[in-house]
Amino acid sequence: MNIFERMQKLDRRWIYIVVALAIIIPLMIPYNSDNVTTPPTENLYQMIDSFAGREDRAILMSFYHDAATMPELFPMEVAILRHCFERNVKVFTLTWFPAGAPIIDYAINTVKEEFPDIQSGVDYCNFGYKPQAFAMVLGMGDNIANTMNTDAEGRKLENLEIMRGINNYSEMNLAVEFSGSSAGGMWITYARPKYGLNVAVGVTAVMAADMYPYLQSGQLIGMLTGLKGAAEYEKLVDVFAAYRDPSRDYNIVKDEDGNPILPGRPFGREILEDESIKKLIRITTQTKAELSPEEYIAFSAKYPENRGLLNSLKKDVDGQVIIDVTQITPEMRTQMGETMYRELNRLTRNTLYKFKVARIGMNAQSVAHIMIIVFIILGNLGYFIQKYRKARNQ
Amino acid sequence: MKKTIPLLIVIVGGLIWVVWAFSPHYVLQEVFYNQFYLPWAYASASFAMLLGVLSLTMMHSNKIKMRAPKWQYSYFFFASFVITCLAGFIGGIQKGGLFMWMFENVQMPMSATMFSLLAFYMASAAYKAFRARSPEATVLLIAAIVVMLAQVPLGVKLSKHLPTISQWILDVPNLASKRGIMLGVGLGSVATSLKILLGIERSYLGGD
Repeated sequence: MNIFERMQKLDRRWIYIVVALAIIIPLMIPYNSDNVTTPPTENLYQMIDSFAGREDRAILMSFYHDAATMPELFPMEVAILRHCFERNVKVFTLTWFPAGAPIIDYAINTVKEEFPDIQSGVDYCNFGYKPQAFAMVLGMGDNIANTMNTDAEGRKLENLEIMRGINNYSEMNLAVEFSGSSAGGMWITYARPKYGLNVAVGVTAVMAADMYPYLQSGQLIGMLTGLKGAAEYEKLVDVFAAYRDPSRDYNIVKDEDGNPILPGRPFGREILEDESIKKLIRITTQTKAELSPEEYIAFSAKYPENRGLLNSLKKDVDGQVIIDVTQITPEMRTQMGETMYRELNRLTRNTLYKFKVARIGMNAQSVAHIMIIVFIILGNLGYFIQKYRKARNQ
Repeated sequence: MKKTIPLLIVIVGGLIWVVWAFSPHYVLQEVFYNQFYLPWAYASASFAMLLGVLSLTMMHSNKIKMRAPKWQYSYFFFASFVITCLAGFIGGIQKGGLFMWMFENVQMPMSATMFSLLAFYMASAAYKAFRARSPEATVLLIAAIVVMLAQVPLGVKLSKHLPTISQWILDVPNLASKRGIMLGVGLGSVATSLKILLGIERSYLGGD
C-alpha cells in the first residue's frame, strides 16, 4: 500500500484527534484577531442603538431554541443584552419553547451581574415561556399588556414601570428571534406586513443561507450569523456601547435641558476603520490603561483629590501614559474610591470572558476552517494521484 | 359520517381563518379572535403539554414492560423527569436553585456536546467524501473553500477581497437557488391548502 492509498484509508479517529486539538488549543490560548463587521450585523446594531435612552421604544428578544444551539446563539443574546443595558434600551424577552425559559434567565443573569443598577420591570421585562406563538405575535400588535397579561414573575404588566410608553409594535418596534431552525418565520409572515414591525434574526451558521432571501428583500433588517455574527456584535459593543471617554464625567447623567446623557458613543463607520480601535477589541487579558497625555490630563482633572495617587501610578512609555491597575493596592483602592477604580479598570479595555466568548470561539473556528480546507485538499490530492496511477498502470 | 364530520370541521375551520386573515370586521377580529380563539388557545396549550407528558410516560413504561431494546435508558428518563420536576416545583427555577444548577451544569454541556459532534463528522466527511469528481462538484468545492475562508479572521488576512467574493456567492448563486426552492414550496403549499379546503385532498383523514 503506497502513501496515497494510505491517505485514502486513513482511520477517521486520527481526523477526530486533529479536529479536537485544532479547536481546544485556540480556545485555551486566545490571541487577538479582528472580526470584520458585515452590513447585516451593523444594521441590527444601529437599529437597536437608535432606541437608546428612549422611553417610547423597546426591543423584543425571542429565544426560540433549546440548550443544544447555545454555543452559537447564546453569545449573540449576551452581546445584545449587554448593548441594551449599556445604552439604556428597554428589553423584553420571551420564548415559545419551554426549554428556552431557563436560557432567558441565564442570559439575563449573566449580563446583569455587571450592571448593578439594571432592574427587572424597569429596564427589562421577561415574559418567560408563552404557548400559542401565533396568537401572541398577532395579539401584541394590538396591545402587549392585554396579550401577555403577566411577566415570568407573575406581575401584572400594566403595573410595571417599563410599560410606560409601550403599548404595541408601534413602540416595541423591533423583534429579534434567535433560533437554530425557522427563525423569524412568524414575525415576517404576520407581524411585519400587518403592523410594520422590524424583524431581525440570530441563527446558527448552517441556517443562514435560508435567511438571505428575507435579508435581501428587506423583510429582515439585520441578521447575526452563527458565532461570526456574535463575534461581530461583541466587537461593535466594545467599540461603541461600552466605550468610555477618559475625559467625560459619567456621574453627570443629564444635560442642561434635562435630556439623558448616555454612556458609550453612537455608531460611526469612520471609527470602525480607524486604527485606534485596535486597543478596544483585544481579547487577551489587559491590565494597563493606555492614555494619551491629553486624555490623562482630562482624566486626572475629574479626580483632583487623587491626582497625587494617579501620578504615583503612571508611567510614561513612548509618549503614552500607562497605568497598571494590578499595582493598585487595597489601601490605594479605598483611597481613590470605587467609582474611580471602576473607571480606571474600564480604561484598561479589558473585556470579561463572558463578553468575548464568540471572539475566542472564532479563533478556534479559524483554525478549524483552515484545517478542514487542508483536509479537503489532501483528500482530493490523494484521490487524484491514486486515480492517475491506476490509469497509468492499466 | 366518520369522515364527513371531520372533513366539515377542517373546511369550515380553514375558511374561517382565510376570512379572518383578509377581513378587518369587528366580529372576526374581536369577537372570534380575541374573545373566543385566544382563551381556547391558552387552555389547549396546557392540555397539549399534559398530552406530551402522558405520551412519553406511556412509551417508556411500555418499553420497560416489553424489555424493548435499550429499555434500561427509560429508567433514566423517569429519574430525570421526576428530579427536574421536583427541583422546579419545590426550589423554583431562579438562579441559585437546583433546577438552574442542573440546567447550567447538566443540560447545557450535554446538549452542546451533542451539537459539537457535527464538527467531527464535517471534518471526516470533508476528507473522505468531498471530491472534485465532476465540474459541478469542483464548483461546489471551490465555493465552499472561499466561503469558509471568508468567514474567519485568518481568511480575511489572506486577502481583503475574500469577503466580497464570498458575499457575491451568497447573494447571487445561493439566493437564486434558494428563491427557486422557496417559490416552489410556497406554490405547493397554496395548492395543497386549496385542495384541503375544497375537500379534494383527504389523505390526512387516513385511508385512501
